[in-house]
Amino acid sequence: MQYSDTLIDHFRNPRNAGMMREPDGVGEGEFAQCMDLARFYLRVREGRVEEARFQAYGCGPTLAACSAGTEVAAGVSLEDLSAVTEARIEAAVGGLPPERRHAAEVVALALRAAARDAMAKRGVR
Amino acid sequence: MSTAERELFGNASSVHYFGQQAKAAIDTARSSLSTLLNADPSEVVFTGGGTESDNLGIKGIAAARRAGHIITSQIEHHAVLRTVQTLEEQGFTATYLPVDGFGMVDPGDVRKALRADTILVSLMGANSEVGTLQPIREIGRITREAGVPLHVDGVQTFGKVPMDVDVFGIDLLSFSGHKIYGPKGIAGLFIRKGTKMASIQHGGEHERRRRAGTENVAGIVGLGKAVAVRARDMADETVRLTALRDRLWQGVRAGVQEVRLNGHPTERLPGTCNMCFHNIESESVVLGLDLKGVGVSAGSACTSGNVEPSYVLVAMGIPVDWAMGSVRCSLGRGTTGEDIEYVIEATVSHVAKLRGLSPVKA
Repeated sequence: MQYSDTLIDHFRNPRNAGMMREPDGVGEGEFAQCMDLARFYLRVREGRVEEARFQAYGCGPTLAACSAGTEVAAGVSLEDLSAVTEARIEAAVGGLPPERRHAAEVVALALRAAARDAMAKRGVR
Repeated sequence: MSTAERELFGNASSVHYFGQQAKAAIDTARSSLSTLLNADPSEVVFTGGGTESDNLGIKGIAAARRAGHIITSQIEHHAVLRTVQTLEEQGFTATYLPVDGFGMVDPGDVRKALRADTILVSLMGANSEVGTLQPIREIGRITREAGVPLHVDGVQTFGKVPMDVDVFGIDLLSFSGHKIYGPKGIAGLFIRKGTKMASIQHGGEHERRRRAGTENVAGIVGLGKAVAVRARDMADETVRLTALRDRLWQGVRAGVQEVRLNGHPTERLPGTCNMCFHNIESESVVLGLDLKGVGVSAGSACTSGNVEPSYVLVAMGIPVDWAMGSVRCSLGRGTTGEDIEYVIEATVSHVAKLRGLSPVKA
């Protein structure tokens, strides 16, 4: 299967991998058909994502899309992140073959959930 | 082969000199094959691929009998499974035998499945995914006693494990060239003399009317050469590859937690090592190793976001959370001890990295 150089780079050298202690928001995305799972942790300052980290189970594109997703999230307002699209994630890995588009879906789903979680916690505070 | 392509341009069915030259080259290859299988040269039919050989063997028997029952197993290659399923749609009946945890068919199950109307037993010599060798010799004794023809899909075993058709009681044996470093697109079927078969391809008298179509002379010459080399090297290669295969498994097992070997520990193809990594998806292992210059194949196939665990592993009773992480390593003529140490190191470090990313604890 042909993957972009960007995707391969993220797969080979995943950015911001691993869990985060006491995050301001956590969100998961799951793609039941292939059991892929992405989890994002967010550190938030003044309504914007200061740092995002991930953990994931899945195929190479899903792992790479998670890594790219942490870069997409950095510096973005929670409001904007809560509306992040699959297309934005796909672009961040330099495109995906049609049969691997679920990688962008699962990452966008998890990032949106993490943003909503952080927004809800801010509201509580 | 290139000499054959250049110089043997005659049609082997023609009576002129050029045709007879091509026919002589085909006969030489047929003779090498018959020696390897302990068959008569007239019992060897050339085809265009292992899949065609399986189709010819199974459909040829079915066409001659017109109705009846076929016994096969749940872990056959699709060339056999789909063929038998197609025959079921045409009114034939079939039994798909289960396998044990190692992927082995119980000969007792073959005996129990035999019926008065059974027209064929079709089983693979070795499984293409996990490499487990089937007890063909015992099964051959049972089919002999019952008077039912035994077809063996020998594509995986051909040239790797001795398979004397008389000793094993085989009536039909599929084999293929590219599995033994021969050319692609050339294969064959051993058909024991006296086996009631009908042609499934019409329009020519080739291969003693059993497979119509002009012979692929260069391919056959290449296959014959590959067979001669395998016959010479098979015993030594078996010893060498078995040691490398076992070293690979020991090395990975020593460095990785929650890994299991799929297939029989000893009754297995010398060059096949199939492993499952718990809670890791095969494709991420395959991609990571590919980037390190190691080509392995994934057991689970992800198509359009739907992952299907290997039907072979499922039939062996392997849980899905294990089966999703199966990877097959195939060792061959060019594999060295140094390669194996590299693959062990690459696998251990890559699996550790994937586990580090995972929210699912192994």
